[in-house]
Amino acid sequence: MNQPILSLQGVSKEYQSKERTFAALKNVSLTVEKGEYLAITGKSGSGKSTLLNMITGIDHPTSGKVLVDGLTIGELSESKLAKWRGQHIGIVFQFFQLIPTLTISENLLLAMEFVDVIPAANRANRVTELLTRVGIAEQANKMPSTLSGGEQQRAAIARALANNPEIIVADEPTGNLDSKTADSINAIFSNLAQSGKTVIVVTHEKNTDLKYRRIVNLKDGEIEIPTT
Amino acid sequence: MNMKLKKAFSDLLISPKRTLLVVFALVLGIWGVGTVYVSNFIMTNDLNANYQSTIPSQLILHSDRFEKLDLKQFNNLPEVETAELRDFTLQRVEIYPNVWIPLFLYGVDNFDDMKQARIFYETGKKIPDSGTILMERDCKGVTSIDTGDSPRVRIGSKITQVTVSGICFDPAQAPATQDAFVYAYTDKKSFSQITGLPSNRRMIIRLNNVYSSDDVKRVSYGLVKKLNAQGIVISSVEIPLFNEHPHQWQLNTLIFLIGTIGLLAFIMGAVLVSQLMRSIMASQVRQIGILKAIGGSQFQIFQIYIAMLLLMGFIAGIIAVPLSVISGSAFSQFVATKLNFNILTTTIPLSVYAILIAASLFLPVVLSLSILIKGTAISVKQALSDYGISQNANSRESKAFKKSHFSNTFRLAARNSMRNSGRLAVTILAMALGVAIFSTGFNVRQSLYNLLSDVKNEMRYDVQVVLSKQVSREEALLPFKSLENVKLVQMWNGGRGEIQSKLLSTNKGAGIVALPTNTDLLKMKMIQGSWLAMSSDNEIVMNQQAWDIYKQPALGSEVILTIENQNIKTRLVGISEQFEKAKVYMDIDKYDAVFNPNHLVNNILFVAKTNDYENVIAMKKNIEKAIVSTDFQVLYVMSQAERVKIIYDHLNIILMTIVFLSFLVLMVSAIGMASATGINIMERTREIGVMRAIGATPQKIYSLFVMEGMITSILSIGLGLILSVPLSKLAAIFFGNLMLGKEAVLQYAFSPLGFVITVVVTILFGWLASQIPAKSAILVPTHKALSYE
Repeated sequence: MNQPILSLQGVSKEYQSKERTFAALKNVSLTVEKGEYLAITGKSGSGKSTLLNMITGIDHPTSGKVLVDGLTIGELSESKLAKWRGQHIGIVFQFFQLIPTLTISENLLLAMEFVDVIPAANRANRVTELLTRVGIAEQANKMPSTLSGGEQQRAAIARALANNPEIIVADEPTGNLDSKTADSINAIFSNLAQSGKTVIVVTHEKNTDLKYRRIVNLKDGEIEIPTT
Repeated sequence: MNMKLKKAFSDLLISPKRTLLVVFALVLGIWGVGTVYVSNFIMTNDLNANYQSTIPSQLILHSDRFEKLDLKQFNNLPEVETAELRDFTLQRVEIYPNVWIPLFLYGVDNFDDMKQARIFYETGKKIPDSGTILMERDCKGVTSIDTGDSPRVRIGSKITQVTVSGICFDPAQAPATQDAFVYAYTDKKSFSQITGLPSNRRMIIRLNNVYSSDDVKRVSYGLVKKLNAQGIVISSVEIPLFNEHPHQWQLNTLIFLIGTIGLLAFIMGAVLVSQLMRSIMASQVRQIGILKAIGGSQFQIFQIYIAMLLLMGFIAGIIAVPLSVISGSAFSQFVATKLNFNILTTTIPLSVYAILIAASLFLPVVLSLSILIKGTAISVKQALSDYGISQNANSRESKAFKKSHFSNTFRLAARNSMRNSGRLAVTILAMALGVAIFSTGFNVRQSLYNLLSDVKNEMRYDVQVVLSKQVSREEALLPFKSLENVKLVQMWNGGRGEIQSKLLSTNKGAGIVALPTNTDLLKMKMIQGSWLAMSSDNEIVMNQQAWDIYKQPALGSEVILTIENQNIKTRLVGISEQFEKAKVYMDIDKYDAVFNPNHLVNNILFVAKTNDYENVIAMKKNIEKAIVSTDFQVLYVMSQAERVKIIYDHLNIILMTIVFLSFLVLMVSAIGMASATGINIMERTREIGVMRAIGATPQKIYSLFVMEGMITSILSIGLGLILSVPLSKLAAIFFGNLMLGKEAVLQYAFSPLGFVITVVVTILFGWLASQIPAKSAILVPTHKALSYE
């Protein structure tokens, strides 16, 4: 068994309003091994996005711990967390979320500049390498708005890989794409997992069995049936 | 290129209009402050430098025994820097046919070696030919007399013609154009020849080691004592304002005024910049979340927006700094012309540019710092779940409002206005401040007009003849027997006197006016106490200038009045408000009993039957004609219309500046409002798309936004007009003190014209400020509006 890269230990998350307390996650424990290709599924409101926010440090649990590579991320300050996130986790969003005023290559360069783990002299080559890997090298100098949805998502994946993180987290990455484009994006994630990256994908898709090595289904904030 | 810088730069180009608006706001703010800074720098330096270049006298002694003085020995006294016997007389000169004004004639010892009270060559002769005069350059603003002309000059009762052989510049004098005087200079021999007066009756002195008026007073005691010991009896001592130009108060008022309004314009600009930065930050919330999600720390993201501000500040600086230098220099030149001094600053020091550039770069950063810190501190989760402006509790309609007969569009506009209550409050406050200042500008102007009107009302005579030598009542009336249009003639007396105090007076004392207690020709506004009453006491009333000079004696206190070495015990019963030099009023019978046993007079006051401007001026000319053939020694003949004009000329420069600058403030406020409306519209782009999708016509959407703007304008006008009342009162107190004396209060006045202009201009600005962004809102296609994030 590979060593776990991610471990959620009894994680609960509650949201309070004047009227009531809503439990988005209820005592969730989950271990993800290095190089695993994991899908988190569930209906709308099941707690998928909340779980993803716990993994990426975007949100913090009400109780329980999130450990990434042995580090309790809840103990990091916002700024340290941002730097840690840029270095260790690549995030891919449903709506791509590229910076619209920068070209595709500049979007990648900005991510590298923020984290500053790739030496400045190597950054241009790494941009070319990553864009070639996701198949949009020729779009490097174009603005995001001139690219198709699929191309934008590939660019977003390349950006997520910019600082060579161990974990790639994707929130409904194909939710906004047609099935053919979605398949090509899924293929990229699959390849990334094969190359040793840990890939966690939140998805609505029903026919997930063939694509992912493990599927975690959430229902009402609890892990329903861990399937291997 | 650094990607953070690249992002900052490219973000500026997302919305060029908004960027231009920020730059414009910065330009206005920096321009306002820059103009004030540059003009303040030039004027403060140059007026003082002009004045100091004359090496002004610090002490003036009068005596008819100076022939006993060894001037060389006096000059060797350790406390004396330099002393000179410079003659002076106040006579009259005819500037146009039958128009005579005061002539200040000086007799100079040596034009080539003036060690103090220097004048400077302009044109014509540098040293006047024998029997001729040099005329001060500003006098050309009140007369067409020029080099080579020989105007008539009345010396006492004698009329003679004196040729002007040159024009000179005397920056130490109050501007001739404002006071309607002619200043002239001749040599001592010609002085006696022209005037027939004895020379060497007046000594001007500069002292060593004096740093204040009090020092001068202290030293003057000793000097007067020494001179008296030599048998040189000093008849009067004058101590001019120490190191201060006579019209420094005007400059101080202007500097304060432009400083205040420049600062307010800057605050408005600052509000505008922070509003716009708030909008930029609001529109980039999700991007901030993404930047944080891909590894950007708060500081790194903060740097992007700082770079953005620095870029905008740099662009604004490039525009505003040269503008500030140009407008600051132009304003200084305007003031210099009005106050008759030369602009000596030829180049603005690099430090001024450096300060302005630093202000351009760093002020926007400082002004937006809290917004940037707050904006970049947002957590990734909050940022990613931000969907722009939302409905809130403030926008809920009350039941009464629901049941009202307002149109749906109006109700929706009113509700929308309340959606971002914080921004609405800032917008209304900024606009209301602009309205308040604009309205205050008009109200202060009205107060000053009222003051002029009061001057007219308090002095209910039309022409006043003031004689320097008293005559009998019969003699005084004789030349005017056949004068037409005369309703009433009254005769007063008076002279120059002193209220006894431990200190020597700081100027020429006060004018004592002796008049019938029950006169109808003078009805002054009293600040404290009451007008003279028929009583057994020797009552006096002081105007506030006299009251200030004599250290504000208590009402009811006993004061000793001295005129030509004769004393009278009096009681102060009132202090009046008057835009005049220091004057003390007392009953003519009581005055005559002590000082004027022959009941002579030196003031003849005429009231016209028909007192419109033309008839009064005609009457004045006829009076002048009648005087020509008399032996009267006339100090001046002045009509009320001219008196008011002189006061108006003193205040006009201030009035013009007040209204112009307050208009600028209102304009900046309107731009602030335009930006706030623009931000509201931009944030609701998607909402506009939804409205369009469910059938709202572009006209409907346009009306909605314009109505929102008008609601803001109307609320701002209401609040602004309320704020303008205390602001106008404060401004009236400030200007009153500055112009009329420490205790004087310029009465608050409401300007109906200002009210109408304020309301119309604000509504117009409000309409423009909302219709421009509203028009651009309806130009966005529905599909683009719907996909706007």
